[in-house]
Amino acid sequence: MHYVDEGTGDPVVLLHGNPTWGFLYRDFVAPLTEAGYRVIIPDMIGFGLSEKPTREHAHSLDGHIANLTALLRGLDLQRVTLVCHDWGGPTGLGFAFSNSFRVRALVLMSTWGWPLPPAEFHTRIFPWRTMHAPLLGPYLLGRHNALAGRGIYLSVVDRQRFASRAMAAYEVVLPAPASRMLTWVWPRWIPLDDTARALQRFVWLEQELRACKLPALLVWGREDDVFDPAIFAARFKQLLPQAEGPHLVTGRHFLQEDSGPEIAARIIDFLRRLE
Amino acid sequence: MNGVCIVVAPPLIGMRLAFVLAEDRLGHYAEFRDFFVRTFELDRVGLAQPGYLRAPSGTVYALIFIGRSGEVFPSGVEIHAIVPALEPLDEAQTDRDLWAILHWMIAGIGGTWTIEALQATGRLFRIPAVADQP
Repeated sequence: MHYVDEGTGDPVVLLHGNPTWGFLYRDFVAPLTEAGYRVIIPDMIGFGLSEKPTREHAHSLDGHIANLTALLRGLDLQRVTLVCHDWGGPTGLGFAFSNSFRVRALVLMSTWGWPLPPAEFHTRIFPWRTMHAPLLGPYLLGRHNALAGRGIYLSVVDRQRFASRAMAAYEVVLPAPASRMLTWVWPRWIPLDDTARALQRFVWLEQELRACKLPALLVWGREDDVFDPAIFAARFKQLLPQAEGPHLVTGRHFLQEDSGPEIAARIIDFLRRLE
Repeated sequence: MNGVCIVVAPPLIGMRLAFVLAEDRLGHYAEFRDFFVRTFELDRVGLAQPGYLRAPSGTVYALIFIGRSGEVFPSGVEIHAIVPALEPLDEAQTDRDLWAILHWMIAGIGGTWTIEALQATGRLFRIPAVADQP
């Protein structure tokens, strides 16, 4: 597993989701390290500069939580602030609730942690279920890398800036169809009915969220039409009533692309008030 | 219907099977696996032979079904183009053929899975084969 490790101080672990990698947090590293924090940014196995298994059965939600656990235990991190986006949510929360003595705070952005279903968007045939259906996923997202390029492009606010400054960096780390496997496998792990493979893990995450007393910060994209803040941030607020926010920033699902420095400043302000 | 049809096993002398697409989890939506079981009589044929499709370009594709212990058969499928043994694959033509095969598949599955949704998804992601269609 590849990861960035910069700075000294209490660790802030920044977790990406599908189909991104540590590059998503490039605007966070300098402000956080200059503010006195150690920044850890893993590339989830299957993305970025990490190993990319080429068989579907290599991937599971529990397996990805275990991968993260191996890294953070290996670094023996304590007083961790977990910053979770997209699949970094279920993965990071899975680590937090099974290693609670290592975790100091949570920052949640455009993600979820409960079963059935995450969003109305995820139940639609067009485009979501068509995009990752059998053979269609390997064709659209594998042969054509549709999610890492066009997919992110459609889920940012300033598309012109994204296309000129960032899009290539997401596409280039997934150079061949087989290397893109997790882009269509992750969507298949989102529970849509009570036969879903990860259903019980999400039930557990929701139970743990209800019991969680950790300080938390909610930051959401104002224009997020996948994880609508009115539904998803509100649900986190219900589960974590102690959470600050939601603070709305310019952004769709990949809000870090539109508001990276502003979100980093929010996180620093939040952490300073925990001192 | 869209130029894709089932054919008998073609002669393979002087040809090779060129891998073009794989699916490890054909039953992720059960109706997809059911379609292939029904279409190629897989309950009877099992692993005895691939299914063969002729695509609009005239190229024949072998659908090699995969069995996995503990899972309903078939668990997966590989699609291979049958091409002259020593000739490179025409990638653009293969891509158009695959898109036609996917159309054929969705038309056969039916129900909530529609050609309109497939076409719209292809357009959304600017798949070249969609733009190439008349």
